[in-house]
Amino acid sequence: MILEGSVRLPFRYAAGTTASTFLEALRDEGRLLGSRCPACGTVLCPPRLDCRCGERATELVEVGPAGTLVSWTELPGRGAYGLVRPDGADTAFVHRLLDAPESLRGGMRVHARFAEERSGGIADLAGFEVAS
Amino acid sequence: MRADPGTATPALSVVHEMRLTWRYASGTAMERFLAGLAERRIEALRCGGCGRRYLPPRPFCGRCRLRLSDWVPVRDEGTLDAWTVVHLPIVDARTGEPRPVPYGMGLIRLDGADTTLNHYLAEADPDRLAIGLRVRAVWREELRGALDDILHFEVVP
Amino acid sequence: MRRVAVVGTGQTRHAKAREDVSQPELVREAARAALEDAGIGPAEIDAVVLSNMELFEGRALPELWAGEGAFAAGKPCLKVATGGTSGTSACIAGFHLAASGLFDVVLVAGFEKHSEGHTQTGMALTDPFWDRAVASGAVGNFALSISQLQAERGITEEQAALVAVKARRNAARNPHAHLQMAELTVDEVLDSRMLAHPVRMLDMCPQSDGACAIVVASDEPARRLCPRPAWVRAAVTRHEQPYLGDVDRRLLTMRTLRDAARAAYDAAGIREPLRELDVAEIYEPVTYAELAWYEALGLCEEGEAGRLIEDGVTAMDGELPVNPSGGVLSTNPVGASGVIRVAEAALQIHGRGGERQVEGASTALATGYGVYAWSDVVVLQAEAA
Repeated sequence: MILEGSVRLPFRYAAGTTASTFLEALRDEGRLLGSRCPACGTVLCPPRLDCRCGERATELVEVGPAGTLVSWTELPGRGAYGLVRPDGADTAFVHRLLDAPESLRGGMRVHARFAEERSGGIADLAGFEVAS
Repeated sequence: MRADPGTATPALSVVHEMRLTWRYASGTAMERFLAGLAERRIEALRCGGCGRRYLPPRPFCGRCRLRLSDWVPVRDEGTLDAWTVVHLPIVDARTGEPRPVPYGMGLIRLDGADTTLNHYLAEADPDRLAIGLRVRAVWREELRGALDDILHFEVVP
Repeated sequence: MRRVAVVGTGQTRHAKAREDVSQPELVREAARAALEDAGIGPAEIDAVVLSNMELFEGRALPELWAGEGAFAAGKPCLKVATGGTSGTSACIAGFHLAASGLFDVVLVAGFEKHSEGHTQTGMALTDPFWDRAVASGAVGNFALSISQLQAERGITEEQAALVAVKARRNAARNPHAHLQMAELTVDEVLDSRMLAHPVRMLDMCPQSDGACAIVVASDEPARRLCPRPAWVRAAVTRHEQPYLGDVDRRLLTMRTLRDAARAAYDAAGIREPLRELDVAEIYEPVTYAELAWYEALGLCEEGEAGRLIEDGVTAMDGELPVNPSGGVLSTNPVGASGVIRVAEAALQIHGRGGERQVEGASTALATGYGVYAWSDVVVLQAEAA
């Protein structure tokens, strides 16, 4: 026999100080921040406290809002998603692409579009659109 | 601009409620046991190696590492082997709602079984509970073949 | 197999909620401290072992997200999970990796952020047929067994309260500890809220946010990196039948811990543990369990555990100080708690215990406990055998 069941589990995740600063700048100022590692110079976006070289990347710098589309895919019915490297950053992050998938090419210049209503989350960045 | 942990920047948090559904296959031993409950029948599985009668019926004997298939009848009355009265409400994982407190819990060795069954007790007064008390199952009126067909165990006066 | 030792330890500040850091940042805090203690950089780590209970944080693949915190990128990385024993089991896995000759230096890191999830509900998500309809959480399960401990061994609420007082007072000398209560009294424990008869609030461990890491090294690097390495003389783990009622009088018999301890003592040449051990860091999620573990670990005869705590035998100035750190009763980030036991035992041998140092400790015991179904026992020594 089969037992069917369901469960509800509540969670509340702390973004931590570094990601909170990023989310606040995104929400309040419509700016993208990265964290720069003083040891190896890498700029991480989204910013992380701990650099991949082992040191602390505590220096926050503005990156974007323009950037380069590294790669992209289309999810049927849900639009396009891509890896975007914001200008000034050494890493890329995943977000929505706001243009029709047919118009996308790797290496294209794209630009951040911020949401009209912003509440302190990654959706405050509506996505990236092809730079005109 | 710098962001060091422990500085004054108020930390943001992300609130999320996870809702999960699943389907579990009972296996044949459990299927037979649950079908029995729907008819107010309790059966244990006896190990062919050590003779231990497992209730709940387990598919394997953890001592002899044998697969079990020898069903033996068990009464719905037995002896209280351990008890507590719970005051800390826990969220019922099946409903997401807290379970009302206080309630009694016991490990019950049913007559005819060698292991003990974890179940609710009707009694929630610590002064009236003791190891060795005789208890019996109180059944739900409409049986449906689930462990909570037994609502709880009551102390035999 | 090669000899292995713990050569560095590090832990975070443990607290009810560490909202200033994300999960990977929490892990990095402990990992960095362990590397600093061992005097090495991330490049010198050959492999990483992690420990975490992902259901408590509801985050799939914690070994992926938190591995970065433990410097795992570009290195072998795996997670070990055995319930509450996860941390000690991860340490034992780390010992095995270094002993095998495949890796010279291994970082073991455990973490938990209980503040982010709902631990009691997570704990109730066990067997869907047997357990979910009649779950009473970790406290209810302990309380059932404690009724047997009281009935058969005559353990009193006052004796249990003495364990709570010892733990929280010890914790006041440990800067990392979550609950530090230098003035706690037996009466305050006995007056605290009833959770599940006879277990009161101050009888139980807290739920903490925290991480802990250790650096494990094989023979040659261990001697190079640490002036007084904590050599692993025994590391034993035992598993048990799963269902609550499968094992008779679980807390009293505790076959996993008895068997693991016996095997560990044999391997380490210990005959009289109470006399030969200098310090013990045992995994005691509830006061009564510490008293039951005294028997299972062979520290006293049957029925003598209450006397041990009353006579102060396991106090800081007693014959065998048990849990100078304050134990799980004072700090409990589950995935880290077992790593903390091993780290605290090791730092006693390193002589880096600060105010909680047991003078001259050269043989230390660490244990792990996982829902009655696992026990781990580790013996560390200043001499390499």
